Amino acid sequence: MSEFISGLFRLRRGPWEMLATILIALGVVMLMQPFVLILFTWSFLVTLAGTVMFIIVSHFPE
Amino acid sequence: MSEPLSQRAATATPPVLAHRIRGLSDRAIAWIFVAPTIALLLAVNIFPLIWTIRLSLTNYRSNRPNAPVKWVGLENYQKILHDPDIWNTFQVTAHFLIWTLVLQVLLGFGLAYLINKKFRGNDLWTTIIVLPMMLSPAVVGNFWTFLYQPQIGLFNYVIAFFTGADPSSFSMIGDVGLAPWAIVIVDTWMWTPFVMLICLAGLRSIPPSIYEAAECDRASKWRQFWTITLPMVLPFLMLAVLFRGIENFKMFDLVVQLTGGGPGSTTELTSINLKREAFEKWRTGYASAYAVILFVTVFGLASIYVKALNKVKDR
Amino acid sequence: MSAVSVTVPSRRQKWIAGTVVIIYALVTIMPLLWIIATGFKTPSDAISYPPKVIFQPSLEGYVNLFTTRSRVAPDTLAALGEPTTWYDRIVRQYDMVITGPSRYGARFLNSVIIGFGSTFLSVFLGTIAAYAFSRFKVPLKDDLMFFVLSTRMMPPIAVAIPIFLMYRQLGLSDTHLGMILLYTAVNLSLSVWLLKGFIDEIPVEYEEAALIDGYTRFQAFVKVVLPQAATGIASTAIFCLIFAWNEYAFAVLLTSGIAQTAPPFIPTIIGTGGKDWPAVAAGATLFLLPVMVFTILLRRHLLRGITFGAVRK
Repeated sequence: MSEFISGLFRLRRGPWEMLATILIALGVVMLMQPFVLILFTWSFLVTLAGTVMFIIVSHFPE
Repeated sequence: MSEPLSQRAATATPPVLAHRIRGLSDRAIAWIFVAPTIALLLAVNIFPLIWTIRLSLTNYRSNRPNAPVKWVGLENYQKILHDPDIWNTFQVTAHFLIWTLVLQVLLGFGLAYLINKKFRGNDLWTTIIVLPMMLSPAVVGNFWTFLYQPQIGLFNYVIAFFTGADPSSFSMIGDVGLAPWAIVIVDTWMWTPFVMLICLAGLRSIPPSIYEAAECDRASKWRQFWTITLPMVLPFLMLAVLFRGIENFKMFDLVVQLTGGGPGSTTELTSINLKREAFEKWRTGYASAYAVILFVTVFGLASIYVKALNKVKDR
Repeated sequence: MSAVSVTVPSRRQKWIAGTVVIIYALVTIMPLLWIIATGFKTPSDAISYPPKVIFQPSLEGYVNLFTTRSRVAPDTLAALGEPTTWYDRIVRQYDMVITGPSRYGARFLNSVIIGFGSTFLSVFLGTIAAYAFSRFKVPLKDDLMFFVLSTRMMPPIAVAIPIFLMYRQLGLSDTHLGMILLYTAVNLSLSVWLLKGFIDEIPVEYEEAALIDGYTRFQAFVKVVLPQAATGIASTAIFCLIFAWNEYAFAVLLTSGIAQTAPPFIPTIIGTGGKDWPAVAAGATLFLLPVMVFTILLRRHLLRGITFGAVRK
């Protein structure tokens, strides 16, 4: 866990990609869940943020 | 061919040009070789994508090309993301997605596990199982409506034969409760082999020496399955799940031929709904915003997929 | 106990595994066999209850698939005299005469033209691009490769909106050229990814030896790399062909007549009074059989094709 956090601070690819992946997955779940309309409304922004983040952080060093 | 192609090309072109082609630097060749691909993809993919984003901010309707186009900003996005009907199509898609994935993973992994026992003739049977996946979903989906006919359909007949029900008493694609399952069944029939093939590759990538070592440690078969087989196949399974997930998220051809989204909107997947907005109601601007939402979602999932792909590749 | 017996399944295990897999395989090909069988039934046999497994084979479905017919009055029919050909005879049973060929042949031909045209283009462009990606330092290589792949993943309906507008402007809607270009673009991603894998596997030393022998880079590519990659190029071509052959979404939205391929056409085949299932099944059989044959030929490369080259087997 501490490795994960230090990876974030040193701008390493692995942990940041993981974070972006979680964000995208969260966005997709929000998009398709049948429970709360407000989550659906905000899902697109979450997915968009995750996707943009993924594109940026995939250029960080390993 | 008596003469190699390059020589013929060289003799056919004027000497100056021939010298130029043959003497091209690696850098120049790299660019010349990659350029047409990039150019075509820019023209057929990126340019339309940018156009879609632009259209998504307007109220343009393509059936009235001469009507004045108004700039509406993010209004289309706002409307879509507050629309309970569109939210519903995503839920329909989710039902389809989750059940097809669950069934395909269970069946696909199970079949792969059994085929990996290398019984006599397993190659032949594997090829037979794979056939449905390679066929045209629209043509096959259309024929499944015949198999699903009450009474005369083969599917109903077989189900009735085993359950004792009346084969004309239920209609898989006409019944509100059954239709969502009708599409799950056909998709599972069609794509289980895909998951199976990838799982099989995963199983075959496990070196037998690992099992031998586990056997020396007196690990039970059950334990071996959970500590060796499953973890080793998991990256492959992830790949299969992501790929099928993306494919079924945008599913169109099979389901549009099977049910056309009906009855009511019980099988109206997102792509089918989008097609109605774009090509039946002709609300082009609105549909473009809808398309952008799908683009971004698929693009995000695709980037996770490529990550999983490279993980498997590196093994 | 020897080490071999640990990893090699016992006879009993093999027997159980084999039985289960064979049962699944038999169930899974039933719909396909049913398509083929229905094509050889008469319309009344096709919709009989219980479904007929044993029936008198008939070519009615195929005759109906390839012809258009119209009903004529009995006295007109009598005036025509005896039917001269076997297909006339089949049609006359229903007091009908053949009035001309159906559109199926033309739609099938469209599938062939568009399929082969786009396959040739995408494999040609894919081969050279894959070579460049495999052997040279291309700036932003990883991003370009991802971009290439992601284009394949896009939902066809979403892409179709701007393509529809663009083609309308350029006069490419419902043309063979338009469809060939579109399918080429979609298939390029597959061919680039697959072929890069195949070319990566060819040792660089071969080309280096050729370069030392005085070949130029271009000559080395044509004379050394292409022959080595021949199998890979062939299997990539079949994958591209199968995709273009099966594609439905773009075809149904962007073509309506001249360039319409078979997949959007086959479901629209109707007979007199309801759907003519034997004709639909006959059309489907002719359309699906080539793919079944190719699948059997391809079986060793299947995994590679469906996973973009990630899994080699």
